Amino acid sequence: MEHVVDARGQACPQPVIMARQALAEHSRIVVYVDNDAARENVRRMGAKLGCEVTIDRRPGGVFHVHLSRSGGKPLADGGTVAVCQPVNTHDYIVALSGETMGKGNDELGAVLVRAFIHTLLQMENLPTRMLFYNTGVKLAVQGSPVLDDLTQLSEAGVEILVCGTCLNFFGLTDKLAVGGVTNMYEIVTGMAAATRILAP
Amino acid sequence: MNAVEYQVVLFKSVSHALLAEKTLKAAGIPHKLIPVPRHISSDCGVCLRIDAADRVRIERALAGAVGCEKIQPL
Repeated sequence: MEHVVDARGQACPQPVIMARQALAEHSRIVVYVDNDAARENVRRMGAKLGCEVTIDRRPGGVFHVHLSRSGGKPLADGGTVAVCQPVNTHDYIVALSGETMGKGNDELGAVLVRAFIHTLLQMENLPTRMLFYNTGVKLAVQGSPVLDDLTQLSEAGVEILVCGTCLNFFGLTDKLAVGGVTNMYEIVTGMAAATRILAP
Repeated sequence: MNAVEYQVVLFKSVSHALLAEKTLKAAGIPHKLIPVPRHISSDCGVCLRIDAADRVRIERALAGAVGCEKIQPL
């Protein structure tokens, strides 16, 4: 049985530290990470400690890094392993806390948010992730005027995460049409790990 | 890249664009409200992107409902 370490949304060096701690207690672990730097850092740490390392790519930019200490071999002394690679400063996430852009006039705000998302799709550098919460979740459900654009963003590799509490509150849980349901833990860790957050 | 040939319908104001959108929605004609492309105008305006094949029936649907400034290729 592999011990699971979920390090998605964690900024460097957290994934490495979490993996290192888990390896002290378990001989086989799998670390879930969601960015290249974390994947490389965990892989390197595993190799340094004498583990067998395999990586598989999962949908949504997630990697499963499998580390095993074959035959229960003791860990080699890896020394200091939590070396951070520079983060890609072009990375950003988008947080949509409402179904409008800006506050003041909702009719206008609804037009603006549609224009925002349409324009986002044309950016060369797409966000790594989009978070939807409060009335923002209404943008990701059936009948939303931005569904087409969000679906295209999702297909282009942007992770669309929609607050489950909010969907539930509005009775829209079974109407989610794009992306996945997320929780506050993922929202907080995602924001904390983000280089930049766009909040239109 | 696009299989569909698009055109854009430009309006005098955002309100005109919204009214036109409502009209096309009611008429069941496909369209999309998008920001006015930068090569057309640097204003922060919105316009309707339409399938060029629908141009005639769109002009007909909008006539009498809302005045549009111009329809041109995207």
